[in-house]
Amino acid sequence: MTFIAFCGAVEQGLVYGLMALGVFITFRVLDFPDLTVDGSLPLGAAVSSVCITQGMSPWLSLLPAMGAGFLAGMVTGILTTRLKILHLLSSILTMTALYSVNIRIMGARPNVALINSPTVFDSVSPLVAALGVSPWLTSSCLFIVLVTMVVAALIWLMRTELGQALLATGDNPRMITSLGVNTSVTIIVGVGLSNALVSLCGALVAQNQGAAEVSMGVGTIVAGLASIVVGETLFGGRRITVRIVSVVLGSVIYRLAIAAALSLDIFSPSDFNLITASLVVAALCMPLVKSRLKSRGGNQKNA
Amino acid sequence: MLETSSLIKFFGRGTVNEVLALNGLDLAVGPGEFVCIIGSNGAGKTTLMRCISGSAPPDSGRTTLDGRDITLWPEHRRATLIGRVFQDPLAGTCASMTIEENMALASRRGKKRGFRAGVTRTEREAFRESLSKLHLGLEGRLSDQVGLLSGGQRQSLTLLMANLLTPKLLLLDEHTASLDPKTASLIMDLTCQLVDEGRVTTLMITHNMQQAISYGNRLIMLHHGRIILDFNERDKARLTVQDLLQHFHSATSGDNQISDRLVLG
Repeated sequence: MTFIAFCGAVEQGLVYGLMALGVFITFRVLDFPDLTVDGSLPLGAAVSSVCITQGMSPWLSLLPAMGAGFLAGMVTGILTTRLKILHLLSSILTMTALYSVNIRIMGARPNVALINSPTVFDSVSPLVAALGVSPWLTSSCLFIVLVTMVVAALIWLMRTELGQALLATGDNPRMITSLGVNTSVTIIVGVGLSNALVSLCGALVAQNQGAAEVSMGVGTIVAGLASIVVGETLFGGRRITVRIVSVVLGSVIYRLAIAAALSLDIFSPSDFNLITASLVVAALCMPLVKSRLKSRGGNQKNA
Repeated sequence: MLETSSLIKFFGRGTVNEVLALNGLDLAVGPGEFVCIIGSNGAGKTTLMRCISGSAPPDSGRTTLDGRDITLWPEHRRATLIGRVFQDPLAGTCASMTIEENMALASRRGKKRGFRAGVTRTEREAFRESLSKLHLGLEGRLSDQVGLLSGGQRQSLTLLMANLLTPKLLLLDEHTASLDPKTASLIMDLTCQLVDEGRVTTLMITHNMQQAISYGNRLIMLHHGRIILDFNERDKARLTVQDLLQHFHSATSGDNQISDRLVLG
């Protein structure tokens, strides 16, 4: 792997780390498999890009992007809790609907180019240059700052009463209901928050690559899961602080692993999703394989 | 304190498997009463409790608690008045969260949850003190995950949590049934201690006849969704396990079914 490929993978790992944190909130905190993210990532990209081309400041455009993501997550949450549709199906329905919504937001086109438009990276590049950092590390520097802020905010949130209620909703909904929490509300807010982060990620990715595309969300959930399981496998930890930080580290390591795999001649860039899915399967069945091996060893001892 | 009138609850209504679980049940419980509820399987004991807690609202009938009509209140709102302990010792706590986090969740029962700290320093001290009453050594393990505790320890913790904010009504659904006899009696002692301290109005379902006689100051027997026997404190004091079994048999003799738990007395 070249040095440039390495830096590119780290950059991707950081920005998609925001998405992975969103997936962590649904998948791990709420125990809610949420596929909305495949739609809310391009949603954030579309909203932010359209706002920028309409003359809004790139920084300000992140707010409506996150708001749109929050709404998309709320739709999934409401379908699940109020209309009692299975959570997985609810999220697939929202994701499917978002495909049309995203095209509509982009003005009946499948993409919006940001080639000659300002981005958040333009506004920080003088500062990065003044610090003597190479200009093509600008986005990485910005992502490090943003991801650190989001991680800190999430750790703070999980320690508040609301965060504790979110954690309890995923762990034991019956118990937390008997303690006076309306789990419909915690699920709607939690899934909304998760998708707001995913949309923020989508907006930054669009600004970084210079375009929003309707298909850029394909495979988001799997990449998010991969980051989470890679982080958990490598860093473990039960404390929420450790778990949140390991999601981001997992995201970076996952992108590095993919970059390493793709640098081999046998793979082409379009194999990205296949490699990711295989990686997730391997990581998810790890505990099962471990326990099988262990119990086999135990049996032999007894015999 | 608690009053239910004409509670009716069907399961699978309109199907061949239709079951009438509560058949116009009326129950009035005075403040500070500790009512033991017995009855064969399918008599409607747990259904009654679920109707009162709001987890399975009745098809018709009214429920008032502490002078408030809670008939239309959803489960999470009723939680402001009601503390609960379930039969499954794992059901009342969050395994992945720590002891202090679980207690903090319980100490905010029915209150608004916002962006304040989930566990505060002053709370931690108070939790340590109330845990020391359990004599299980949990006061030194505040930041241990609840999943590391045994069933008995978890049930003790759940019971303590249900009483952290003194509830208007405490619902105990066979809360010692899945514990070994020694732990079960420890939990019952703790139950009495907490109920006495807070003068809590309590309903307790049990299949243990001796328990039903020894604890509480009123005993009712349910059958086919109705109350068929109601003993006050004085009558209850004279009851023996044999008497109760007799009542059980005469109540169920009409049915062509064997009540399995009954055999175990």
